[in-house]
Amino acid sequence: MIKAWELDSNFRNEIMNEPGGEHLAACYQCSTCTLGCPITEIVPSYNPRRIIQMSLLGMRTEVLSNPDLWICAICQTCTARCPQDVVVGDVLAVIRRIAEKEAEAGNIKIESVRPLFETAFLHQLEKYGRLFDIGLAKEYYPKKEGSFIKGMLAMMKDYRKFGMRMFKKGKMGPKAMLPEKIKKTEEVKKIFEKIGD
Amino acid sequence: MNGKKLAYYPGCPSATTAIEQDMSTKAVLEKLGIELSEMEDWNCCGAAEAEDPRLVYALNARNLAIAEKDGLDIVTPCSICYYNLARSDKALREDESLRAKMREIDSSLDYKGTIKARHILDVLVNEIGMDELSSKIEHKVEVKVAPYYGCYIGRPPETAFDDPDDPILMDKLIELIGGEVVPFSYMKTKCCGGPLMMTRVDIAYEMARKVLEGAKRAGADCIALACPLCGMMLDAKQEDIEDALNIKIGMPVIYITQLLGLALGIESNKLGLNKNAVDTKEILGKVV
Repeated sequence: MIKAWELDSNFRNEIMNEPGGEHLAACYQCSTCTLGCPITEIVPSYNPRRIIQMSLLGMRTEVLSNPDLWICAICQTCTARCPQDVVVGDVLAVIRRIAEKEAEAGNIKIESVRPLFETAFLHQLEKYGRLFDIGLAKEYYPKKEGSFIKGMLAMMKDYRKFGMRMFKKGKMGPKAMLPEKIKKTEEVKKIFEKIGD
Repeated sequence: MNGKKLAYYPGCPSATTAIEQDMSTKAVLEKLGIELSEMEDWNCCGAAEAEDPRLVYALNARNLAIAEKDGLDIVTPCSICYYNLARSDKALREDESLRAKMREIDSSLDYKGTIKARHILDVLVNEIGMDELSSKIEHKVEVKVAPYYGCYIGRPPETAFDDPDDPILMDKLIELIGGEVVPFSYMKTKCCGGPLMMTRVDIAYEMARKVLEGAKRAGADCIALACPLCGMMLDAKQEDIEDALNIKIGMPVIYITQLLGLALGIESNKLGLNKNAVDTKEILGKVV
């Protein structure tokens, strides 16, 4: 049940003031986004239309702590089909960013490993300027599993056969063990320092 | 179009999991007389993991500025790199205050908006063109193909260069080389699940399974694609998907540049056809 006195009427503005969230209020709830969504096909509870409706109503806490936020594949089908140009995919990304900030401040708990993955991914860019797959896995798995040993075991389980397959095809030789670092990493570091994530 | 030069943005997977896409892109463009110059010191585009558009614009302002110094348009074989480069170009081109913000971060981000970033599929069909391509065809590749476009070719609208629901650029190339396009329209533009591979592998595998089994049901000899993340999911991880879901697929997955390369008479090893995870020998047998 919605309790009117618990609604945050400013939540819609919070979203619309962020780049990507500008068109939230254009939504007229037609559900085209959800009907075409490949995730909804697999996880029927996943409902981007509902997330937008709840955001417009001001159900800030419910929206930000909804675990479904983290299973969007960013495929852009909703964005392409929306008759109101809400740019649904970008709106959801804005909501995820607000949720991450709230989680960092200790106000909510995110029940997904996705923020850990994205952070580990961006750390590779910050350090090397390019993606370093092995560095990403070595940072992500221990965080996801809660300890270094557990992380390494889980990584072996997920990637041992895959790694062998890639090695046999000459795609993951000794060269892939080391990061491909760009020369001017300081330029990329500056981007992260000034924009952060 | 002969003698044209482009800046090449390979993208991160080009050195590892998508090495065959990198090899075939270079080989095909060389054969077509396009000179490629790999961008000096390019950085990652942010992929699907940089969710803050400000971060995407900054990372790609640096890349765009590198190519702009040489006055060259960019070509990339990766759909996500294309999306990030193209949307950054658009945002920066349209907004002087955004360009000013970029310059404040660092002088290396000083992009003026005088070049374009393009996807290899767009360059092949719309820039080089079907007439030019057809004049260079040496072999027929008599193969039944499921053309798989995934995301970022027909959507989102701001950067799309093909139809969002029924893209045709790969279909055209397949027909040009003597192949047959199998009925695959309902599956062409579905997401492969790639972005969820590391965080929700269960959903990702289910998404990939639909594409792979859809191609099989349609009677395809192989899937053709134009994105290294789709290649990672559908080809490199196909055996893992078979194991996890206890199914058998065995569907060769080939980059469109590899297929086109065969028709242009380029040697299969130069196209990296020995590097695809699912064996491609049967496909090679259909080159006449």
